[in-house]
Amino acid sequence: MTVPPELAAALAGEEAAIFAYAPIGVRLTGNALVTQARDAEAAHRDLRDALLTRFAELSATPSPPAAGYTLPYPLTDQATALTLAIEIEERAAAIWRAALPPTTGTDRVLALSALTDSALRATRWRIAAKVTPTTVPFPGEQL
Amino acid sequence: MASTRRRILAGAVALAGATAALAGCSPDDQETPPPPPPPPDALEPLLAETRALLDLYQAAYAAQPSLASRLTPMLEAHTAHLAELTKVMTPPPSPVTAGSVPVPPSGSPTTAASVTLAELRAAEQTGQKSAATACATAPATRAALLGSIAAARATHAEVLR
Repeated sequence: MTVPPELAAALAGEEAAIFAYAPIGVRLTGNALVTQARDAEAAHRDLRDALLTRFAELSATPSPPAAGYTLPYPLTDQATALTLAIEIEERAAAIWRAALPPTTGTDRVLALSALTDSALRATRWRIAAKVTPTTVPFPGEQL
Repeated sequence: MASTRRRILAGAVALAGATAALAGCSPDDQETPPPPPPPPDALEPLLAETRALLDLYQAAYAAQPSLASRLTPMLEAHTAHLAELTKVMTPPPSPVTAGSVPVPPSGSPTTAASVTLAELRAAEQTGQKSAATACATAPATRAALLGSIAAARATHAEVLR
């Protein structure tokens, strides 16, 4: 059985999110924000693992994670770290939203749960960064 | 014996043929019934819920104008959801527009003042579940829209904490 390319894209997106949260966490101060970043990273690891399990069930071989990632801009302080955290979650929401149409059953439920959780994390990061509005009408919609 | 049975069978077949011919022969003056109306779109309940959420926000808004800046993004989101749902539905939903449902006049027991943030939050959580359920079984063409609506309602509940 073939894996929809959208699920393969979701796996690549999760790997990138996991990578990004390490430098983000370094720039955050205060227990609340550090915990928030750690929880987010753990959630993306869980999603990555759920996808790998699913690919194994389908006897599909995902492409290996990229050898290295580069941040879109240097993280110099807490503000840039929060901005990137918002972007990471918005990107994850878009990737998972794109996985909804080609999937059914438990795969779609996984995609919807991931989209919802990314939208929630984006909202929490916007609150932390004092960015308004803190919500968007259609999370994951590509603008 | 065998020939008798054949004759009876032949007679039965002939009779069946005659009945069929009779049934097929409808009088000219009998009008063909109009086709039944198309069944309502599966998204009707979700549309109704979206309208109810909008009404709830408008009531809260009217009662506590100080909440305007906090509630406006949600009010706008539900308005946008209503428009997108209407766009994809077949047949198109009845043209009840948001806000045309009368808000109870102030002073009545169910007045706007009784809409609390906790009630808005509970309504968003219920709405998130219905949108998620609709998304789970929706055709591919509707899955992304319904998924975004479910996710948006989850974020609304989050900021109403």
